Amino acid sequence: MVSRFPHRTGDDVDEPVTEACRRTHQDRWRRRRLLQRQLHDGAALRISALTLRLGLLEHRAAPDGQAVQDCIGELQDELHAVLEELRDVAAQIYPPLLDEAGLGPALREVVATLQAPVAVVASEERFGAAAEGAAYFAVLQCLAAQPAGAPSMKVVVRRETDTLMLSVSGVDAFHAELIDDQVRPLGGIVEVITGSLPGASTVIARIPCE
Amino acid sequence: MRVALAEDGTLFREGLLMLLRAVGHQVVCSAADGDELVALLTTTPADVAILDIRMPPEPDGGLITAERLRAAHPDLGLLFLSHYAESHYLMRILEIGTESIGYRLKEKVGSVEVLTDTLNRIGNGEIVIEPVLAKRLVDRTRGDKKDVVAALSDREQEVLRLMAEGRSNNGIAGQLYITPKAVEKHIANIFVKLGLHIDTAAHHRRVLAVLTYLRSQRNQG
Repeated sequence: MVSRFPHRTGDDVDEPVTEACRRTHQDRWRRRRLLQRQLHDGAALRISALTLRLGLLEHRAAPDGQAVQDCIGELQDELHAVLEELRDVAAQIYPPLLDEAGLGPALREVVATLQAPVAVVASEERFGAAAEGAAYFAVLQCLAAQPAGAPSMKVVVRRETDTLMLSVSGVDAFHAELIDDQVRPLGGIVEVITGSLPGASTVIARIPCE
Repeated sequence: MRVALAEDGTLFREGLLMLLRAVGHQVVCSAADGDELVALLTTTPADVAILDIRMPPEPDGGLITAERLRAAHPDLGLLFLSHYAESHYLMRILEIGTESIGYRLKEKVGSVEVLTDTLNRIGNGEIVIEPVLAKRLVDRTRGDKKDVVAALSDREQEVLRLMAEGRSNNGIAGQLYITPKAVEKHIANIFVKLGLHIDTAAHHRRVLAVLTYLRSQRNQG
C-alpha cells in the first residue's frame, strides 16, 4: 500500500510549507555547515599546531629530560582527546565528510562506524548543503530507531531532476515520521510503501535540491 | 630528508616547518596550496611531500596535488595530513599509490617519534596508516567478518592491527618484541583464518588485501 505521509484525515490537513519557511531552513543548514568549517579551520587547527610546538619542546628537552618528555607526551595525548571530542561535535553539527564528499561517502562511513547492517546505493552527485544535511540526518534518525537485531536496511539516493530522492527500505512505517521531520521544512514530500511484515516497509522522500 | 610542505593553515604550516628543521630535516619548499607546491617542485628536488588533504584547490586539493606529483615524480614519497581519519580518504589515497605513501592525523605528527617513524617508513617505500584509523577498521568489522576477526587470538589481532597500519614484518616484530619469523607465522595463520590468499612477499599488496577485507561488507547492494 502506498500512502502519502502524513495521513490526511478529516479537517487535519497539513499546511504546505511556505517559501519563507523553506528559505529559513535552507539557511539553517548552510549555517550548520559553516559552523563545522569554523571549528575545523579555527579551534582544531590551533590545537593541532599546539602539538607541534610541544614536539619542539620535547626535542629541546632531550637527551636528559626524560621526565619532561614523558610529561609532554601526556599533554599531546590529552590534546588528541580534546580534538576527538571536537570531531564528535562537528559530526553532529554537519559531518565534514558530508560537506567534502557528499551523501554516499558520508553514509557509508557512518554505517561502518555504527557497525549497522545497511547497504548504501548512492552516486557521487551533489545536492547542496540543505538537502544533503536533511537526508543524512533522516537516515541517522532511522538507524537510531532500528530495534536491536533488525534485518538489514537499504538506502538509495538518486537525483530526479531538481529533487533529491531518498529511499529507505527495511524499516517500519513509523520511520516515515522521523524522515518527515527532517525533510518537510525544506518542502520535502514523504511517501510510505507499507509492507505486510514488520520491518518490510519503504519510506521515500523527495526533497527540492540545488 | 628533503621535505616539501603544502598546508593552507599558516599556524600549522609554520609549526611543522620549525619542528622538521629542529629534528634535522631539510625543508626545501613550503606552500599554502597545492598548485604552488607543484610549481615549486618542478625545479626543486625533494624526498617527501607533506600535503594537507583539505586545502586549495578546493575541496580536497591535497589529493589532486598528490596525483599530479606522483605522475611527475614517481619516486617522491607522499604524506597526507588531515584533521580527520576517514576510511573514505584512505581508499582514495591508496588509489593514488600503495608505495611510499602515508596518511596521518595532524596532531599526531607533533610527536617527534611519530614524525620520524612516519617519514622513515615512507622513505623506505612503506605505506603508513594512522593507527587510530587502523584500529577502528579492525575493531569495527561487520557481519560474518566480525566473528572471524573476533575468533583471532589476542596476539593475532595485534598483528592484524599493525598490518592495517602498513607495518612491515620487521616493523611488526619491533613493535611486539618478537622475532620476524614469529610474525610470519602469525600472518600465515591470520590469512588462513580470514580466507585470504595473497602473495605475502609483496608487502603493499598484503596491506591492501587486509584493508579491503576489513572495509568491505558482504551483501552490499
